[in-house]
Amino acid sequence: MSKKSRSKLWFLVHSWLALPIWFFVLIVCVTGTLAVVSQEIVWLANPDIRASKPSDDAEPLSFDQVIAAIKRDEPQVIVRSIIRPDESHFALSVGLSYPDGRSVEAYANPYTGAIQGISPAFNFQQFTRALHGWWLVPFTNGYSWGWYLVSFLGLPLLASLVTGLVVYKRFWKGFFRPTLRIRHGARIFWGDFHRLSGIWSIWFIAVISITGTWFLIQAFLGDNQISISSEPIVPVIAREKVPTSAPGVPAPMIPLDDAIKIATQRIPGLDATFAFLPLNAYSHLQIGGRGWYPLMFQTAQLNPYNGEIAVSHLLSDRTTLEFVTESMRPLHTGDFGGLWIKLIWAFFGLVLSMMVLSGLLIWTKRTALATLNALKREAKAQHKPVAIPAMQAETSEVHR
Amino acid sequence: MSKVAAVPPSPLRAFWLKWRFHINVLLLLVPLGFMPKYFADAALFRGDAGIGERVAGEVQVGPWSLTLAEFRNEGPSPDPAGPMKFFNASLCDTCANQVKATYLRIGKPRSLRAAGVIFFGTPYRMGAALPIPERTPADAEVWITMEGWDGSMHQGSIPLSQASPATIAWLNKQGVKP
Repeated sequence: MSKKSRSKLWFLVHSWLALPIWFFVLIVCVTGTLAVVSQEIVWLANPDIRASKPSDDAEPLSFDQVIAAIKRDEPQVIVRSIIRPDESHFALSVGLSYPDGRSVEAYANPYTGAIQGISPAFNFQQFTRALHGWWLVPFTNGYSWGWYLVSFLGLPLLASLVTGLVVYKRFWKGFFRPTLRIRHGARIFWGDFHRLSGIWSIWFIAVISITGTWFLIQAFLGDNQISISSEPIVPVIAREKVPTSAPGVPAPMIPLDDAIKIATQRIPGLDATFAFLPLNAYSHLQIGGRGWYPLMFQTAQLNPYNGEIAVSHLLSDRTTLEFVTESMRPLHTGDFGGLWIKLIWAFFGLVLSMMVLSGLLIWTKRTALATLNALKREAKAQHKPVAIPAMQAETSEVHR
Repeated sequence: MSKVAAVPPSPLRAFWLKWRFHINVLLLLVPLGFMPKYFADAALFRGDAGIGERVAGEVQVGPWSLTLAEFRNEGPSPDPAGPMKFFNASLCDTCANQVKATYLRIGKPRSLRAAGVIFFGTPYRMGAALPIPERTPADAEVWITMEGWDGSMHQGSIPLSQASPATIAWLNKQGVKP
């Protein structure tokens, strides 16, 4: 095969990868972009989720103080979990259980412990994630087929990146001589836009497509009961390690702040940001947070009656493979380093969405033009057979 | 180039050529179709509609009692460890501090150590995944064992047919004689 026809072929492959599914890809890109900043969008829309300081010198409360404040305001409610979000302008996310059987996420002020509101029935954050992540297809037995459908897109995306770089001759020159011709018509503009945003998004497209493909592999492994996790399976607390007490008097548990202290001593560098309270009398209390490596969490499971650590899962417990695979999700979502990383991810998410759209526009404009030319030629030479316009159009890029 | 290419395309073919790359817009029907189910599930998990899709009833367990509900009004879910039926429950108002643990089992347990699966959650809303062997008799009883903080133990039961008619239907389908 000649060099020219080979690049023609690559060009065709590049065009065909997203073209037949462009709208699906576009919606997945747009919902993914929204999902990255969904917490921020909720912050703008709903004052309940903001961590307003009652005064300038207000100090954040400890977890025990927060629970005490909640109990004071609503004695009936049971706190199931507390999560301190990465960014200090967000209220604490508290899992609450109400006597009427509701089990909901509530927003607690980190300085006063006051419950500012309960997450609404329409949870924008969860909805955008569900739409982006599994196209709302329910999980009934293992992973939903929507999850497979969306995560499969990682492969054509990766292939688009590779073929795009193959057909864009000497693409690295584009870094030094950025071209974006505005006054040469829509076709030229969208072509320049597609190439320019493409080369600056190489890293992002690589990250998203590789991590997206990992989600596909993850589902495949999960549905076939293949585990690569080194995380220990935690047995329930042994019967003899749960104290018996007088009838109607639950055995006393250690304060949550003490448990955090114990976990922090055991896990050097632990920044404890979440606590999951025991799920029943024989279940552990889980404390966790990030360490030196921002993409993974470290956890400790304690006996809530005596503070003994039953199991811990530290960074050093992870295998090299797990360092790679566990980093995939945060790399995909961009939720590992605060607002700025999220904004970078959202920006490039938008650029990627625009690339889908500009790719489509280039194709339609070029086809329209090619069809027009073909018709003109046809009018000129009535008896000559007409070339297939689409084919000619789709390969014209190579001759640029 | 063949002469066939010179023939003007039929309207059907022209339509196909024009719209073939936009058919995928129809994929949007998938999330639209699943949206009611998504919101119903979200409400079910939040407990906006109570502790489960179908409340089976109140079960007396010694001095205590609980309200048993099917999380979903359907047969057991497939699981690598065998078919599982999810039940939710809430303890009686005065039980919260009395009951240390609640267990669920098909058939009467011989001791506390064989009381079955333990409930996870708060006294207001707790759940357990009950394994349903495929040869469970249709007249089986679901036994609830409760343990007090002093080690005392109480038991109560409810017919499986009452706890989950959908599970009985599922068992009949598996070939169990009613």
